[in-house]
Amino acid sequence: MANNHKWGMVIDIDKCTGCQACVVACQSENNIPINTEDLVLQRRAFQWIRIERYWEGTYPDIKARFMPILCQHCENAPCEPVCPVYATYHNNEGLNVQVYNRCIGTRYCANNCPYQVRFFNYWEPEWPEELKSQLNPDVTVRSRGIMEKCTFCVQKIRRAQVEVEQRDGEAIDDEQLRTRNLNPACVQACPSDVLVFGDFNDPNSRVAELSHDERHYKLFEHLGTDPNVIYLKKIDLEAEDEDHH
Amino acid sequence: MPTSRSLKVVLALSLLVTVSLVGLVLFGLLRAWWSTPISVFGFVPGQVEQPIEFPHPVHVEEAGIQCDFCHRSVAKSEAATVPPLELCVACHMDLPNGTFAGMGHPSVEHVKELWEKGEPLDWKRVHRVPDHVQFMHEPHLNFFREQQGLETQQVCSLCHGDVGAMNEVRQVEDLKMRDCVDCHKQNNAPTDCVICHY
Ligand code: HEC
Ligand code: HEC
Ligand code: HEC
Ligand code: HEC
Ligand code: HEC
Repeated sequence: MANNHKWGMVIDIDKCTGCQACVVACQSENNIPINTEDLVLQRRAFQWIRIERYWEGTYPDIKARFMPILCQHCENAPCEPVCPVYATYHNNEGLNVQVYNRCIGTRYCANNCPYQVRFFNYWEPEWPEELKSQLNPDVTVRSRGIMEKCTFCVQKIRRAQVEVEQRDGEAIDDEQLRTRNLNPACVQACPSDVLVFGDFNDPNSRVAELSHDERHYKLFEHLGTDPNVIYLKKIDLEAEDEDHH
Repeated sequence: MPTSRSLKVVLALSLLVTVSLVGLVLFGLLRAWWSTPISVFGFVPGQVEQPIEFPHPVHVEEAGIQCDFCHRSVAKSEAATVPPLELCVACHMDLPNGTFAGMGHPSVEHVKELWEKGEPLDWKRVHRVPDHVQFMHEPHLNFFREQQGLETQQVCSLCHGDVGAMNEVRQVEDLKMRDCVDCHKQNNAPTDCVICHY
C-alpha cells in the first residue's frame, strides 16, 4: 500500500437522534446474522454498531441521550495481545483487523475489550431462504465458533484502494468516498450526519479537522487504548445555563 | 500354549491393520491438505462436468479470440465472469437467416436449443477459493499488463495454465495461500492479511 492512510471516525453525539439507521445498514452490509428474540434474550445479539440510550433527569423533566458505539479500532488495543493465534492485529492503516479463518474462538479478545463490541458466533448463522441472495459477496459469512466485529467496512476501503488509487490513479479523499459510495454503511445511512469517516492523515479531510474540535474526546481515554474513533460532546445549553446560576 | 500363540498372531495382525489404516488416513488427509481441488488417494473429484463441452482451443488458438472478449470483466472487477448464452449466440447465429455456425457439433446444437427455449446455460465453477478469501482479478491484470508489459493471455496463464490449449478447463495451479503470498513477495505486492481475508 503505497499511500499511508490512517482510517478513523468522528461521532458528533450532539446530532444523534437514535434512529438506528446505522444499525440496520451495518446489519445488511456485513452479513450479520438476524438478531432473533432468542439471541437477544441470551445476550448474544450481534450489533457491530449499537445505539446506547441514557435517560437524564426524571419525568417530566427528562432527556434522552444517544450514543452510537462501535469498535474503536484502538491503536493500543486490549483485544490484540491476548489472542493466542494472532487472529486479531493492528494493520498499518489504523484498522483493528479480525482474520476470521485464523480465529479459533477462545473469546479472550471479547473479554478483554472494554467497549463490548466483539461478538461470538455461538451458532451457525441462518437466514430465511428468501434473504440468502441479499448476502454481500464481498464479506465472508462467519461460521460457528468465530469472533467478529466492526471492520470499518474494510471491503469498501479495499474497493476504494483498487478503484480509486490503482484503476484511476487518484487520491482517496472525502469527495471520492462520498460520491463513489465508499464510506462505511453506517456513515452512508446516517440521516443527520453524526458519523464522519475518513483519513486522519489527509489534512483536508473532515475527520482531521473535527479531531481538533474543542468538544472532542475519546471513550475511556484513561485506559490508554488510544481509539481511532473520536466523539464530540453533546451541547446542552440548558445544562450550561444551570451551571451558571 | 496354542491359544496364547494364536492370540499373539491375532494381536499382531490387528496391530498391523490399525497401523496401516491410520497411515492411510493420515496420507489421505495430507494429500487433501496440500492440494486443491481436494484429492484424496490420488482421486480428483474436481474434474467438473460441464453442461456442454466448450472447446477453448477452437476459439483461442484457431479463431484468435482474446480471453477478455469472453471473460469480460476480468480487468474491471473481482470476478472474470463466464459468458452468458447470449454471447455464444451473438457470434454463432447468422442473423438474417437465423442459421447457426458450427451446427453439427452437439454443443452448438444444444446452444441453439436453449436459445430457442429462452433458458440459460448453467456453467459449473472450476476455480473457487474458499469463502474466507477475497480474490480480485482486476489488480493482477492491471499490474502485469501495464507495469510488466505482459499480454492478457500470458497473465491468465500465471494462475490458470495454458487454458487456450485445454479442451476441458481444469485447475492446474494449487492457488493456495502460499502461492498467492510467494508471488506477492516477489513483486512487492501487499501481504497484509486484510488484503485477502475479510
Ligand atoms: C469464446 C469465449 C471464450 C474465450 C475466448 C475464452 N474463454 Fe475461458 N471460458 C469460456 C466459457 C464458456 C467457460 C465455461 C466453460 C468451461 O469451464 O469450460 C470458460 C471457462 C474458463 C475458465 C474456468 C472458469 C472457472 O469456472 O473456474 C478459465 C480459467 C478460463 N476460461 C480462462 C480463459 C483464458 C485464459 C482464455 C484466453 C486464453 C479464455 N478463457 C478464453 C469462454 C471463453
Ligand atoms: C467471438 C465469437 C465467438 C463466440 C463469442 C463464441 N464462439 Fe464458438 N466459435 C467461434 C468460431 C469463429 C468458431 C470456429 C468455427 C468453425 O471452425 O467452424 C467457433 C467454434 C465453436 C465450436 C466448435 C464447432 C466445431 O464444429 O468444431 C463450438 C462447440 C463452439 N464454438 C461453441 C461455443 C459456445 C458454447 C460459445 C458460448 C460460450 C461460443 N462458442 C462462443 C466464434 C465464437
Ligand atoms: C493471480 C492469479 C490469477 C490470474 C492472473 C488470473 N486468475 Fe482467474 N482466477 C484466479 C482465482 C484464484 C480464481 C477463483 C476466484 C474465486 O473463487 O473467487 C479465478 C477464477 C477465474 C474464473 C472463474 C470465476 C470468475 O471469476 O468468474 C475465470 C473465468 C477466470 N478466473 C478467468 C481468468 C482470465 C481470463 C484471466 C486472464 C485475463 C485470469 N483469470 C487471470 C486467479 C487468477
Ligand atoms: C503471479 C503472481 C501473483 C499471484 C499468484 C497472486 N497475486 Fe495477488 N497480486 C499480485 C501483484 C503483483 C499485485 C499488486 C497489484 C498492484 O499493486 O497493482 C497483487 C494484488 C492483489 C490484490 C489487491 C491488492 C491491493 O493492493 O489492493 C489482492 C486482493 C490479491 N492480489 C489477492 C491474491 C490472492 C487471493 C491470490 C491467490 C489466490 C493472489 N493474489 C495470487 C501478484 C500475484
Ligand atoms: C495474497 C492473499 C493472502 C494473504 C495476504 C493472506 N492469505 Fe491467508 N489464505 C489465502 C488463500 C488463497 C487461502 C485459501 C487456501 C485454500 O485454498 O485452502 C488462505 C487460507 C488461510 C488460512 C487457512 C484457513 C483454512 O481453513 O484452512 C488461514 C488460517 C489464513 N489464510 C490466515 C492468514 C493470515 C493470518 C494472514 C496474514 C498474516 C493471511 N492469511 C494472509 C490468501 C491470503
